Amino acid sequence: MTVSGPQSMFKYQSGRVIAAGRVMLAFLFLLSIWLDQSQPAQAPAQTYALLLSYVLFAIGLAALTWRNWWLDARLAAPSHFIDMAVFTGIVFSTNGYTSPFFLFFILPLLSAAIRWGWRETTLTATALVLLYFAAGLLVAGTQSFELQRFIVRSGHLVILSAILIWFGIHQQFARLFFGLDELDRRLARDDDPITQALAFAMDEARAGSGALLLRSNDGQRFAGTRITKGTAHPLKVAQPLMREPLPVVLFDIERDRTLSRRNDGWHRFLPAWKLVNADALRELGAREGLISEVRSGTLQGCLLLWDMPDLSVDFLELGRELGRDAGAVIDHDALLSAIEEGAAARTRLSLARDVHDSVVQFLAGAAFRVEAIMRGSRAHKQLQSDLMELKRLLIEEQGEIRTFVSALRRDRELELAEAVEELKSLARRLGRQWSVECRVDATSDDASIPIRLQLDLQQLLREAVANAVRHGGASRIDVDVGIDEDRLRLEVKDNGSGFLPANGGTPVQPWSLKERVDRAHGSLSLFSEPGCTNLVITLPLAGAGA
Amino acid sequence: MTRVLIADDHPMIAAALEMLLRGSDYELVGRARSGAEALNQVQRLKPDLLLLDVNMPDGSGLDVLKQLRQSRRAPATVLLTAGMDDVQLLTASVLEPEGMVLKTSDPALLLECMEQVRSGQHCIDPEIAERIDKAKEKAARAPSLTPRERELIDLVRQGLRNRDIAAQLGVTEGTVKVYLHAIFDKVGVDNRTELAMRAGELLGR
Repeated sequence: MTVSGPQSMFKYQSGRVIAAGRVMLAFLFLLSIWLDQSQPAQAPAQTYALLLSYVLFAIGLAALTWRNWWLDARLAAPSHFIDMAVFTGIVFSTNGYTSPFFLFFILPLLSAAIRWGWRETTLTATALVLLYFAAGLLVAGTQSFELQRFIVRSGHLVILSAILIWFGIHQQFARLFFGLDELDRRLARDDDPITQALAFAMDEARAGSGALLLRSNDGQRFAGTRITKGTAHPLKVAQPLMREPLPVVLFDIERDRTLSRRNDGWHRFLPAWKLVNADALRELGAREGLISEVRSGTLQGCLLLWDMPDLSVDFLELGRELGRDAGAVIDHDALLSAIEEGAAARTRLSLARDVHDSVVQFLAGAAFRVEAIMRGSRAHKQLQSDLMELKRLLIEEQGEIRTFVSALRRDRELELAEAVEELKSLARRLGRQWSVECRVDATSDDASIPIRLQLDLQQLLREAVANAVRHGGASRIDVDVGIDEDRLRLEVKDNGSGFLPANGGTPVQPWSLKERVDRAHGSLSLFSEPGCTNLVITLPLAGAGA
Repeated sequence: MTRVLIADDHPMIAAALEMLLRGSDYELVGRARSGAEALNQVQRLKPDLLLLDVNMPDGSGLDVLKQLRQSRRAPATVLLTAGMDDVQLLTASVLEPEGMVLKTSDPALLLECMEQVRSGQHCIDPEIAERIDKAKEKAARAPSLTPRERELIDLVRQGLRNRDIAAQLGVTEGTVKVYLHAIFDKVGVDNRTELAMRAGELLGR
């Protein structure tokens, strides 16, 4: 996300916003008092001198801190006190609590809320309210004192302070994180997640160069990616870049400066050599930039950004978020990889089972038949019939395997119409194999189904037909295939005796069918009575990827 | 005549075995297509010899064998299999069936094996014997797992997510991840799917 123009000048630049606001307000004060003949009401010469000094101070401060994050942080507190003092002085010199410039107290309040947090905003607000009450007490009892106006303005100040304190609290919890949906949209699965995470961070921080390093398993070395001039290179670093674990550090190696945040939220100024590995940074060409901690579910490391024209104090917060986001990108990729590996493993196991159940068992059965033929003391006619039967079985199995392989070669999905055609062909072969009439119809065939389902369909049909003939002695089997909302439905009707064996005994359960249906997260229902058995299987279309 | 019961859920194998036994000294007295059906038929038909497939629905061949081993009048059993994993091989070697033959071996071996079993001997397909030896060596080399690691593997096998495992074990999600990676390294798997697949072998159950 690249932002240009005035927006980019102030993006993540709260110091600039405050400095610019201070300059504009100082000029506005001067202009207002100059235009208003009734002002300043008290000590005019001193007021003009104060205002002129304040204008010069505001311009000088803006010029000094515009591109210098370290000075901006260093001068933040002193300039804040000066703002409060000057605004108090101006308000008093322009009629005290009835001053038309009363609401300009908002600048110190806002700058405290933007720069720091709710505690500093509360302290500023308390100081301002006390100053205002002091002014009220000083002028109370004079003829010009208006109690009603004093109360209303006190109320304004308190309400405004409360809102800004809330804003300060809210700031502490606001996150820049773009969320998993955004990640999904922006992540390209084929790219290295470390490079992607780094590219996101550089883009967001408008950094020309960056590196993302993750700690090796032995915990001693760091390896990752470095992007300079738009090109990514692998990178290894022997030592940690930060000398103590901190969420984020801004550094300037040449001037030997670092800025970080203490646990209580106050700025911490230290020489660069104390907090960062200056030699390693110099070697990378990173003279001024930021380092933030990166933590993912399983990995730990750091994000280094440099060549940042807009580096500011705000990056103490932004850097922390960028580190978190980089960790989230790595976690997200690890999660997707785990899902893919799981799906691949399931498919592999399923294919292995299919091959085992069909090809291996068939070939073993064929070998037993050959052995039986060889050993049998059969008449020539019987021998020929056995060999013919074996040949037929071999040819049919060849067809099955060809169908199976062509299904595997296809893309992830195929038209249901195609799957139905292949089922019809399979039904003809099964009909011949079991000497039954077997027909397949489709109630709807304008959908697409995953390859995995096609393989399941074929295997289910084989098993259903075998069951109908073996257990029920069926002579006619009708199969119907269709789509019911998000499920594929396979209905198998036969005219057999059902799942109760003809000679009584324990009812036979379609275990192999049930097992396969369970694995595909489908459902199976069975209605069985002599002369009619109806088997309905539904399989979910989603989650059956090949 | 030796009375034989075939327990195999695959119709092609069952039909071929039936054909192989036709006209021989063996009398086929019944066919079962599941583990439960096999137990039922053994009790009802009292065969002399049971040709038992390993992978069957509703109770595997090994489950059937376990049950039969507790009975005094169990038939001699020949395990007939297209393939067993290491856990199955080790279980089978403990149960000591009278015969073990691979379906993919020369069918003549099955008949030889049946002959030996009929005469009171034991017969193991050389390939199965070799695989059992390897499985035993592998099991001896397998790293010892702590009770906590075994517990975690079991929870992974049940398909629980890290968050659920953490809640169940009373630790943080991060600790579960650290544990899991230690287990991955120890048992030589790359991911949790592989760990779940090998859980039976690692836990021996």
